[in-house]
Amino acid sequence: MAGPVRVRITYCAECGYEPQTLDLAKALMLEFGAQLSSIELIPWDSGTFDVSIGGDLVHSMGREGGFPEHATIKDAVRARLSA
Amino acid sequence: MSIDRQRFESGLTYQGYKAQMTRNRERFEENERRVELRPDDVAAFRDLPRPLHVVVLAEDWCGDVIANLPVVGRLAEASGKLDLRVFLRDQNDDLMQRWLNQGKYKSIPVVVFYDEGFRELGHWIERPASVTELRGRRRREVFAAHPEFGSPDAPVDQLPEDVRERLGAELQKMRDETTPFANQEVVRELRELVSRVAA
Repeated sequence: MAGPVRVRITYCAECGYEPQTLDLAKALMLEFGAQLSSIELIPWDSGTFDVSIGGDLVHSMGREGGFPEHATIKDAVRARLSA
Repeated sequence: MSIDRQRFESGLTYQGYKAQMTRNRERFEENERRVELRPDDVAAFRDLPRPLHVVVLAEDWCGDVIANLPVVGRLAEASGKLDLRVFLRDQNDDLMQRWLNQGKYKSIPVVVFYDEGFRELGHWIERPASVTELRGRRRREVFAAHPEFGSPDAPVDQLPEDVRERLGAELQKMRDETTPFANQEVVRELRELVSRVAA
């Protein structure tokens, strides 16, 4: 079992992606609690919505398109926790 | 769905659009102030034989709208020949579907010119290709000049916070430096389009 996992969400502040960012952060907080070492929210621009878990990019709006399903991110966190 | 006078007049005026913005209005109005129109460009629009109706699709969260709609607004104000109505993209999907970028992307702003009988004369989407090319090149140059920024394709969250802040500042500086070129390219493309279809 791995130690606590760090999550980073980089979002386009110009685009008003705050609601999606906060929804995802809240979902992860409620699901994993103290299993997460931190959730870092990084305001950026250029239509960005990237989610990294333990340093690995698991979703990029530029790569996959759109916002991630919460279930997809939760599964990625679970995989990291059990690695 | 075509545009007729009734639909056209249901759109927001330029001032009405600005009034309903919930974000980025300060940047939008700063961009308005930074637009420098050349007299010959203004004359090209002012000397049109008759005013044009202009439909714009926009949203206040879109960087290209924040950058380019002020150019259109300033041209309309200076020439007196462009009667603008703005439609919010996400509330007017029937309109958006008519002018998809490359047939599939909902890129905005879309600027559509109509004659007095609401016959479509031509349209313009998003930003000039020359601006995309210049900023892409300048962005690559920023990364090349600063090895600490890493790869231009890597996610920025991998960078230490202080480096990320410097990268953000460098990219903003690059955008500021290229804004006069970008604004002039928007004017050039719109002028060429209008001169071709409406002069």
